Amino acid sequence: MSTSAPRQKHGGRLSNGAFALLLTAPGLALFAAIIVYPLVSALFTGFFRQDLRLPGREFVGLENFTYWLDSGFGTILKQTLVFTVGATIVPFLIGFALALALNSGLKGSGFLRGLFLFPWVIPGVVVSFLWMWIFNANYGVLNGILLELGFIEESVSWLGKPGTAMLAVIITKTWASFPWMMVMLLAGLQTVPKELHEAAAMDGAGAIRRFFAVTWPQVRGVASIVLLLEFIWNFQHFDTIYVLTGGGPAGATETFATAVYQSAFKGFDLGRATALGGLWMLLLLVLVAAYLWITERKGDAR
Amino acid sequence: MTTTTTTPLPRDEKAAPMAMTTPRPARRRLRKDLVRSRIAAWSAVLVIGALGMLPVYWLLVTALSTPGQAFQFPPKLIPTEITFSNFSALAENDQLFTYLVNSMIVATITAVLSVVVATYMGYSFSKFRYRGRRSLMHLVLASQMFPQALLLVTLYTVFSSFGLLNTYTALVLSFTTFTMPLCVWMLKGIFDTIPDALLEAASIDGASRWRTLHSIVAPLAAPGMIAAGLFAFVRGWNDFIFALTLADKEKQTLPPGLVSTYIGEFQTAWPELMAASLVVSVPVVVAFMFLQRYLVGGMTAGSVKS
Repeated sequence: MSTSAPRQKHGGRLSNGAFALLLTAPGLALFAAIIVYPLVSALFTGFFRQDLRLPGREFVGLENFTYWLDSGFGTILKQTLVFTVGATIVPFLIGFALALALNSGLKGSGFLRGLFLFPWVIPGVVVSFLWMWIFNANYGVLNGILLELGFIEESVSWLGKPGTAMLAVIITKTWASFPWMMVMLLAGLQTVPKELHEAAAMDGAGAIRRFFAVTWPQVRGVASIVLLLEFIWNFQHFDTIYVLTGGGPAGATETFATAVYQSAFKGFDLGRATALGGLWMLLLLVLVAAYLWITERKGDAR
Repeated sequence: MTTTTTTPLPRDEKAAPMAMTTPRPARRRLRKDLVRSRIAAWSAVLVIGALGMLPVYWLLVTALSTPGQAFQFPPKLIPTEITFSNFSALAENDQLFTYLVNSMIVATITAVLSVVVATYMGYSFSKFRYRGRRSLMHLVLASQMFPQALLLVTLYTVFSSFGLLNTYTALVLSFTTFTMPLCVWMLKGIFDTIPDALLEAASIDGASRWRTLHSIVAPLAAPGMIAAGLFAFVRGWNDFIFALTLADKEKQTLPPGLVSTYIGEFQTAWPELMAASLVVSVPVVVAFMFLQRYLVGGMTAGSVKS
């Protein structure tokens, strides 16, 4: 499969390589203009003092970076990690449990799979609206149910208190994410041959033993990719947090995404926004490199 | 490709002779395990399913409630009367109609642009071998993983200096930053399934490379191209951060439009907002019914195949 394209036999003025590059040209031009250039230029803006509303800028060296490192960076990093880890692990466990259940030959599992997909399919803002309503301090159904069951004494302002806001945001994102992890893991599970299970059972392995000896090695690849992708996405997640809390209350749900956004579009400080964004991108780069390494090792990007 | 390391065997054919040779105690254990795992599976589905679907139920109930019912506490879990007045209130709102039209236009143009550009790029990645190809592919794959919030900051200044703020162009171009990589990877995967022999045959028959692509490969890949376009449409339809920032009321799409219409009011009209949420969700739910077959491939944009 080295040169799979047909050799041009008559009258082609371009070599195959040149033709292939020509095909990529429109895409590459678009790419350079709207992704590569903005990202690279953002990295430079971090070294300047620049206002969103005004022309002109002034070189200030590392001032914007030291501003963040002196105040806020640690908190933002910690909160981003709490959100990212929570909103990755919890939906993974739920999705995995559901995938295992649906894979055990239940009747109607195809229909159920489609039904469970709903939270993931609907727009992110709809997810946020719905949970804002559920968490509502005055009329919310969550307070209603918990009061009824006697778990709480009085209505809780879930999104309004620093202690519960992060939990509420993680629950919301979990609800939106578990379906796709379920579908991916289910697809992985379906490649595990039943015969392996039977053979292991004949050798006297119990259900738990069989899970770790037979199932897990087969789905480990999908599981690691699903976890890493979800981690990367959550690490830069914006919509749910912005709509539910706007990073509040008192900055308790501030993450890199909301902090960069707020300092650029509420504080109008491009220098500080892009400086924090640059630090954020460095951290993401490590994750993306890990992702590319894993997919490469699996020989996917041939 | 990650998951197909073992060829799936035809299960039933293989399982039957196997069971016959299985020694008795093991077979009994298997059957006991099967019963136990069925029970465990059903309980897991019931518990998680009920918890997971409750919010959906609440979305429907609230959308069909009168304000009087929605704003009573404790809330009634089973509604006593239902109303469609929330939906008719939406229909009378001209501003929401503007958002809807904007969403339609922007998501459609984004999908078409992404598929056209990605078809050429994906074809090039799939059927040609040249220096720099892998680096380009990695760049495309990695580009969807960089933070949108940061990208947005510079896009805003660039669009501003070109006078493109509050235009469809700005929205389409910003949406393309995440739809194009997705389409390239999906379409590369589709072209990978078209046998090289077909291209060689076309070449022997005297078709030029352009003709081969446009009249032989493209028709074969058409279902995949439509699927990629639908994915792009959905992603564009669902976008929040770009449309929120790069456009104002005139050109904004539904997601940020709904936020500015309903959230931050003194008293949010929750029943109406839930009705609106259902309406925004309809096109994407319909799209996904068509996309079921492409789901796993599309979800990770070709980076994981089942």
